[in-house]
Amino acid sequence: MPPTAPPLDFRDFWRIAPAATLALWGLVVVLTDLGLARRLGLEARRRVVGRLALAGVGLALISAVALFWLDSLAAVDPERLRQLLGASLGDYFARSGEVIFLGALASGVSVDILNFLYLILLALVIQLATSYRFTDDWGECLALLIWATVGMMFLSAAEELATLFLSLEMMTICLYLLTAFEKSRRRSVEAGLKYFIYGSVSSALFLYGLSLVYGLAGTTRFDAIERILAGTSTTAPGLVGNLAGASALLLMLVGFGFKIAAVPFHQWAPDAYEGAPAPVAAWIVTGSKIASIVALMKVFLHAARPWSFPSNDMMGPGWVGIIAVVSAVTMTYGNLAALVQTNFKRMLAYSSIAHGGYILVGLAAAAVSINGPAAAGALLYYLVIYAFSNLGAFAVAAWLVRDRSADEIDDLNGMGAERPLLALCLAFLMLSLIGVPPFGGFFGKLYVFMEALNQGPSQTRIILVWLVALGLLNSAISAFYYVRVLKAMYFRPRSGAGLKPAKSAIATPVLLSTLVVVVFGLFPQPLVDLMKSAAGPMLVSSSADAPISAPPAVSTAPGAAAR
Amino acid sequence: MNNDIPLNWFLYFAAASFAIGLVGVLLRRNAIAVLMAIEIILNAANVNLVAFWRYGTPAPGSGPLPGVILAILVITVAAAEVAVGIGLILLCYRRWRVADVDRYDTMSG
Repeated sequence: MPPTAPPLDFRDFWRIAPAATLALWGLVVVLTDLGLARRLGLEARRRVVGRLALAGVGLALISAVALFWLDSLAAVDPERLRQLLGASLGDYFARSGEVIFLGALASGVSVDILNFLYLILLALVIQLATSYRFTDDWGECLALLIWATVGMMFLSAAEELATLFLSLEMMTICLYLLTAFEKSRRRSVEAGLKYFIYGSVSSALFLYGLSLVYGLAGTTRFDAIERILAGTSTTAPGLVGNLAGASALLLMLVGFGFKIAAVPFHQWAPDAYEGAPAPVAAWIVTGSKIASIVALMKVFLHAARPWSFPSNDMMGPGWVGIIAVVSAVTMTYGNLAALVQTNFKRMLAYSSIAHGGYILVGLAAAAVSINGPAAAGALLYYLVIYAFSNLGAFAVAAWLVRDRSADEIDDLNGMGAERPLLALCLAFLMLSLIGVPPFGGFFGKLYVFMEALNQGPSQTRIILVWLVALGLLNSAISAFYYVRVLKAMYFRPRSGAGLKPAKSAIATPVLLSTLVVVVFGLFPQPLVDLMKSAAGPMLVSSSADAPISAPPAVSTAPGAAAR
Repeated sequence: MNNDIPLNWFLYFAAASFAIGLVGVLLRRNAIAVLMAIEIILNAANVNLVAFWRYGTPAPGSGPLPGVILAILVITVAAAEVAVGIGLILLCYRRWRVADVDRYDTMSG
């Protein structure tokens, strides 16, 4: 059976311009560092390589914005595109939102928005990474950060399981190395190995699940998988009696559970966040989490939608029931464990585990919702606010490590009097993480929980109401440990060495994150609308060329493997 | 394909390898052995992919990427992962002078 591959459309490369720019720029950074910058002194080299990396991110940002502009133009005025770009390329860009590279990647406005988000966050992380000296290999460090971002971009754009696996690996392998980058400290090396072992086991489990899905559906493309699963399970909706399907689903859930640090699979997260250099931890907690959750959404809300739950029972066999239980356990455990932490980064790690729980509530809501894109849009809004809040907090952690070479919560003592502006920023970020109005975190939780309560059938609603109630209770618990940060900053006298001025490398991420959290807290609606419009295309089949006519010729596998 | 080995045999073999790999990951304490166990799981998935590619009929709209290509990509990824893993294990070994994953316990709680 020789497969006849359709020819590749080379214009597709325009669509991945941001990722391609970044991938090449990583090489430029490494080579410049090797060839030129090594002759400079350490300080000068850090500055030069940092600027160079930022320049590359700037280039990618320009291309992302240009693509966003072209894609939004395609929706309103395709004729203009043809005038601007010529017939061939203009026609191509007018068909915005199609899958590219033979169905491997999505394109369109939603991808551009996420790319833009990653690039902004990456610019801040690179700034942060050059703020203090945790390594001397700046070129490699920044190039790995850049390449991890390429993986994230492809991961959240993947429309197909093989691409998803490859980009997942691209992202995490870079992050394993970055976690262990501070070779002079034991904790960093240990965190790297732990992250590596947990991460690669989870990818292996995910891959095995993927291979079963490939066998059951005969394809790796999300839209085709959805069609075939929906076709086979008309008699017994959900997963009743489907052993291979159930194990595939479980294995993929375990794989994603590790990546987003949901509770039975969270053990790596606190160690990795505590041990990793603060800028790297910031990138794991923001970029990698966003990308994994977007991929999780696409796989489960789109490809595995027929397996979500039997029509009469939300907690029946299917992934929604599992997600509901996992989210309840995750937020409760994350918050309770965070209460007893003394290390600032470790506390943030448990807090991010707890936030993963809230996010899973949103995912369950989006799955049962009659209005999936709205729920998924609320989820994306939550993710943006979560990412900026955590980035700012980790920037402060980097500051503590730079000036006090420790990152305990007690090291924040007296910061309120010492550095009033940045302390106020951190206070705002903590309040946003608790979910206090008028900060962004409040509206994130509000929208996610409101979508969860906004469901039709009463039976599913009861479970979601319980989840939301648990989420609110957990938010109250979480206030205790976030307030400890405020208490340390404002009510305790200074202990230890004084903090030197933050300089722009640390102040910019903190200030910008606070700005985002405050502005989108006061005016949430534009961002929410943007995210809802971005979430729409993620959850539906976006390929125009998929043949639907023939009944799905299911491979021999389901029957064989189910026995 | 009448005289071929039945598909089920491949699936049983892959499932057995998967189980062996999983048990190895959970029980072995030597970091190198854990790495080997991870490789076994990856290869179990590869066997599945190739077997499904050989025996299954591609679904309509399935795209051009068959399982066997994916298996080759997975082998590449596995090689990259081992390279990184060995590097990290060596870093740890140089600090602790053991390759036992239970001994790396500076952080906990």
